[in-house]
Amino acid sequence: MPNDVAASSTPGARRPASTLSRRRVLGLGAALGGASALSLAGCSTAPSSDAVTSQLIHGATGGGLKDTVDPHFPVTFPDIARCTQLYEPLMRFNAAYEVEPGLAESAEMNADGTEWTFRLRQGVTFHNGRPVTGEDVKFSFERMLDPKNPAAYLSDVAPIADLSACKALDARTYKLVLKEPYTIMDRVVAAYSLGIIPTDFNLNKPVGTGPWKFEKFVPGQRSVFSRFDGYWDVQASYDELVILDFADDAAKVNALLAGQLQTVDSLPAYLAGSIERQGARTLVSETGGWVPFTMRVDTAPFNDVRVRQAMRMLVDRKQMIDQALNGFGRVANDVYSPFDPDYIGDQLPQHEYDPEHAKALLRQAGHSDLQVELVTSSGIGAGAVESANLIVQQAAKAGVKVRVNKVDGSIFYGDQYLTWPFAQDFWYTRLYIPQAVACAVKTAPYNETHFEHPRFTQLIDAARSTTDEARRRRYLQEAQEIEHNEGGLIIWGFKNQVDAVSQFVTGLKPYRELPMASFHFNHAKPVETR
Amino acid sequence: MNLRSLLRDPKILIGGLLTVLIIALAVFGPFVAPHGEYEIVGRPYTNEGSFLGTDYIGQDVWSRVLYGGRSVLVIALLATLLGVAIGVLLGVLAAYVGGWLDEIVMRLNDVLLAFPQILIALLVLSSVDQPTWWMIVLIVGISHAPRVARMARGVALTYVTRDFVTAAEAIGEPRWRILLAELGPNLVVPLLAEAGLRLTYSIGMVAGIGFLGFATDPGAADWGQMTNENRLALLVQPWGVLAPVIIIALFTIGTNLIADGLGERAAKGAA
Repeated sequence: MPNDVAASSTPGARRPASTLSRRRVLGLGAALGGASALSLAGCSTAPSSDAVTSQLIHGATGGGLKDTVDPHFPVTFPDIARCTQLYEPLMRFNAAYEVEPGLAESAEMNADGTEWTFRLRQGVTFHNGRPVTGEDVKFSFERMLDPKNPAAYLSDVAPIADLSACKALDARTYKLVLKEPYTIMDRVVAAYSLGIIPTDFNLNKPVGTGPWKFEKFVPGQRSVFSRFDGYWDVQASYDELVILDFADDAAKVNALLAGQLQTVDSLPAYLAGSIERQGARTLVSETGGWVPFTMRVDTAPFNDVRVRQAMRMLVDRKQMIDQALNGFGRVANDVYSPFDPDYIGDQLPQHEYDPEHAKALLRQAGHSDLQVELVTSSGIGAGAVESANLIVQQAAKAGVKVRVNKVDGSIFYGDQYLTWPFAQDFWYTRLYIPQAVACAVKTAPYNETHFEHPRFTQLIDAARSTTDEARRRRYLQEAQEIEHNEGGLIIWGFKNQVDAVSQFVTGLKPYRELPMASFHFNHAKPVETR
Repeated sequence: MNLRSLLRDPKILIGGLLTVLIIALAVFGPFVAPHGEYEIVGRPYTNEGSFLGTDYIGQDVWSRVLYGGRSVLVIALLATLLGVAIGVLLGVLAAYVGGWLDEIVMRLNDVLLAFPQILIALLVLSSVDQPTWWMIVLIVGISHAPRVARMARGVALTYVTRDFVTAAEAIGEPRWRILLAELGPNLVVPLLAEAGLRLTYSIGMVAGIGFLGFATDPGAADWGQMTNENRLALLVQPWGVLAPVIIIALFTIGTNLIADGLGERAAKGAA
């Protein structure tokens, strides 16, 4: 799933030569300290309130030479961390993953769902001081809906957008016109990668409306931002934000414990206890992230629904959570998007570990001696290789031989990506319809399981077209039942996000959308000490 | 050269003891392991399980150490045998035949010697989806051959001009017989020393290949692979990495001491 949130740890294929190693971090920390008027905030002593410059330094892994500050095409967590400082979408998700107004104070749909009118907040300006206008929104949507290269979250909207009819109605209003009804647009435009940019946007000197202004950016190494004093929402407490790229998790954790960073995102779960014992604080957030096993429904033996059902019974979900995620997760039921208001995964019969029943199903399907190859990679992210090795033993109890083929991240996400008969992947929090559109309908760009269920696709199309919420709920419930009974995804759990914060920083709270309080660094405050 | 006289050499004695100890651990370990190779005994990276705690998915580290030696040792041993066999054949032939064959073999040798062994191995392994055990044996074995060939040629050259070889040729002994019966016995001690050294390198390479993630069976207990699986938690639960590393280190010290002892004896013999 390379165009979405990328794996946070050890994506070998994308790891740059220039990211920080443990050895380099000490030197760099010293250099940063020397360059700044203030010694690094959060170093063994708390930042002083009368300092000229206060600095918040965040450590991240997963970046590389392809790092970007493009608002509409962030790939890795460091990319997303940067973009969310600079740009903001019209709507946004709050901590509980509920949609709320962002740059727009309202989003209104016409009677049949073919037109959306977004009314901008008054007084919002870009970093250069120019007010945000309807023309800027129009420009941004034209960029995001470019039919040749649409933003990932609008890949299903781009084909139905009528760009020639979309227009700025006045200085604060933009109308989005569609050729077909799309009644959940207010939820879709809340995605972090759909930021509004000015008509004269320049990627080398990016300007947005976010809480931090762009200062410096060296791909694979560091990005520097300064506080935007004209920000319309929560003002940042620190003067400067630095995002540092690290080559591996151990290096960034060591830097945090040495006081050279104030925050790090996406920790391996097993480090949580150790971090707390050494004085830092963990920030654990429930997310809708999942690391599924993917079975291609158009390829033997998984083209037989009984085999797919049997495989789902061969996953001991509790053990997966305990061992692969070290307990930092919740059991799932082969349905995604747990924070969608129409999610029914917890109401459907729970798929339990049942080797005997699985054996019987496999016998019926003529696969008593089933042997399958599972393709995995550490590039998928934390929990992938671990769960792959666990399923080998769990499936063996029903006589199923799973052979794990561990390949490099560049091979996994290379030409053969989306062709493996039995593999794994990684997704982060999304609502149900955007997720289905991304991975389960016929035209989905990341349909790992090759799931082509006419009724399912029809239900998703109907759900995003109807203006009747009760009807939409019914459609989505039926769609989830179809995936629960016949789908090719084994969704054994939802991951909890584990981040870490220095004891000298406060104000950051768990968010469901993205790591590290959804990268709301403007909420971070230095702890006042005497 | 009998075993008793060899064991009087303290290097060979200590090396032999270490080597036998580790081989015994690898061979009999699975029978005495407190838990199964894949058995989950607790949460990841905790002190649960037996005395070395648990690994990245909660398996018992000590049991995995006991299970994890067979593959490394067998692959390393086979690779060493292969490398020594190819190397000796090429080296002795080059020395005995001389001329253009010697030139071709040794120049090709020089080319291969220019590349670090692990680089050659990675080059091949990275081009396949998942390596098989025999692939690793071939790669490691072949990467040893040039070094063994150079040594074998050097030793053989000191003998091919001796009178007993000339005499054998004069009475019409076939070439293969001269190689085997006349040159062979004189190469045994230096070859054993070299084989010991190659075995040391083989173990390092096989474990290194596992550490770099080119595992033949990603879930299996394997000393090299264990260091890879558990390396991120080195500060939290070091035994997942330290235990296999210590075992590998002891074994390589053992084989190295034997090789060293044999080498000294060969040098004395030659003198």
